[in-house]
Amino acid sequence: MNRKLPREERTLSERQATWSVRAKVGANEALTLARPADYGHGTSGRPARQAGLWHWMRSHQRQAILLAFVVPALTYVILFFAYPLIYGFTMSVEKIGFIGQSGPYIGLHNYRVEINDPVTREALIDTAIFLVASLFFQFTIGLGIASYFSRRFFLSGFLRSLIIIPWLFPPIASGTIFAIMFAGQGGIIDETLLSLHLISSPIFWFDSAFKAMFVIIFVNIWIGIPFNAVLLYSGLQDIPNELREASALDGASVWQRFRYITVPLLRPVSLIVIMLGIIYTVKTFDLVIVLTNGGPDNGSQLMSTWAYTLAFQNFETGQGAAVANMLFIFCMIVAFFYIRATRREVAVA
Amino acid sequence: MNVRRRMGLFWHRRARRFALPIGGLVITGLMLLPIYFTIESSLAPSSSFQALSQSLVPSHFVLSNYRLAFDEESGSIVTSLLIALGAVVLSVGIALPAAYGLTKLGYLKSRAVISVAIIVLLVTQMVPGISLTLAFYKVFFHLHLLNSIPGLILADSTNGMPFATLVLRAYMGSIPRELSDAAYVDGASEWRTFRSVIAPLAVPGIVTAGLFVFLFAWGDFLYAYTLTAGGNVTPLTKGILSFFTNNTVNWGGVLATVVLAAIPSGLILSFGQRYVMGGLRAGALKG
Repeated sequence: MNRKLPREERTLSERQATWSVRAKVGANEALTLARPADYGHGTSGRPARQAGLWHWMRSHQRQAILLAFVVPALTYVILFFAYPLIYGFTMSVEKIGFIGQSGPYIGLHNYRVEINDPVTREALIDTAIFLVASLFFQFTIGLGIASYFSRRFFLSGFLRSLIIIPWLFPPIASGTIFAIMFAGQGGIIDETLLSLHLISSPIFWFDSAFKAMFVIIFVNIWIGIPFNAVLLYSGLQDIPNELREASALDGASVWQRFRYITVPLLRPVSLIVIMLGIIYTVKTFDLVIVLTNGGPDNGSQLMSTWAYTLAFQNFETGQGAAVANMLFIFCMIVAFFYIRATRREVAVA
Repeated sequence: MNVRRRMGLFWHRRARRFALPIGGLVITGLMLLPIYFTIESSLAPSSSFQALSQSLVPSHFVLSNYRLAFDEESGSIVTSLLIALGAVVLSVGIALPAAYGLTKLGYLKSRAVISVAIIVLLVTQMVPGISLTLAFYKVFFHLHLLNSIPGLILADSTNGMPFATLVLRAYMGSIPRELSDAAYVDGASEWRTFRSVIAPLAVPGIVTAGLFVFLFAWGDFLYAYTLTAGGNVTPLTKGILSFFTNNTVNWGGVLATVVLAAIPSGLILSFGQRYVMGGLRAGALKG
């Protein structure tokens, strides 16, 4: 409390200063507002609780006007995020078959069914593998490319801008390209491997869950590398060159410079890149639909596509909503850590 | 020792001159190989499956695949353009005043409001679309918004609006505070300050936010796929999928469509790279 008091006094006097400037300019309502009683709280002693919304609005007229600018965004967030999420939760505790119908309340039954469903478990494991493998390779390859291009050389700027191209393709387009490239008979990847005598007969990439997941992960890594490379490149640029030069003069090896200068200084950016990577990756939907459609035999379902399949194809909307909510809860756990990790950045910005 | 060191330096310089650009070319080439394959196949005269993989350099180029792609998907391209532009107008229209309000509230030291708003905006970006789309489907069903462009504009803005607000807020934070203070001292209302002082200055930020919203909506597949089920409104992403799954003969045509779908991104990369990079940094790093 003692710590807080001087700050409030300061804000109050600052505010009074602002009002008096306004009064000098000659706005009439500013004069009336400048009466200290209208503040309703602060060091003058009048308790804020008595004031009510109307008083608060009058005493904080500027804040109220500025909040009005935020109202459309707030409305949109309530209508298109809060409401659907709550609605999605109610769907998950009801017995709903076809998505257009509604059904009776059945508690957590859908969750129980889905946790015991082997497909859900496999989808959960596949999502985890997909996430870890994608992020690991996107990040390491991205970091490799970023550090390679952070040494300036002939064409480096031009090549750097070309590397972003895969990231700007709509994912469904990238998925289509690879679906054609990985096609089992006559696809360019099989043909190349055959002509190099690396394989003796065509590989049918989509006939086992393992191979199908491999392809999905491979494509997702390809899509994610540019994003990682671009952000890590800008992170590397922010590390002052003097640090590296000074340590080189002091006799630090390349590895030591990487380990003791680049890694710690790149940590904040890396954290953000990885967190954003988790968010983009866990939402992945289109790649699976175009590459495998969850097959063979639901072997390459992720949580997102499994929720879709349950709701829109198996007509088990309640269960689909339950799976979607499990995914949502996972994302919120990640979000919690993301916000904790970036709190400092948020405070600075 | 001295000689070795000198030789080392010599090779070091050599490496910088030649090896680095060559390595860079190899890395870029590997990354872009699928893109090359796509463009090459879409221009190749014969589009049968075998022919695609046999020659990496076609003998001559034809545009017949693109003609086919246009015949097949021109309606989808128009639909996607309308949806993406609508999403830009809606998202930026909501995000611009919100960013202004949040920036100015920051000046008034309303720390709590700002942190809550930013946390909400960050969290909304982390909500998986599949968790929203089931509810969207039911609500849109009752409001007759399924299979409609307005419905998809509303749904697609869930990707763009929070990001646009964060980018615009970061941008407005870099506009000197003195400008809006001066407008205030001159007796301008908040609305007038917003309209005549800050919004015109924020145009580069608006362009960045708009480009991203456009790309998000243009590339959206989840809502395009689920909220148009069985209908005749077909955004390009959904069009590519059905063209691909229904077509086992002409892969060249499918790949030509893929190239068409990448054109907006290509244009943005060529002409707006500055904005894209700025947006990436502002949206991702500054929170």
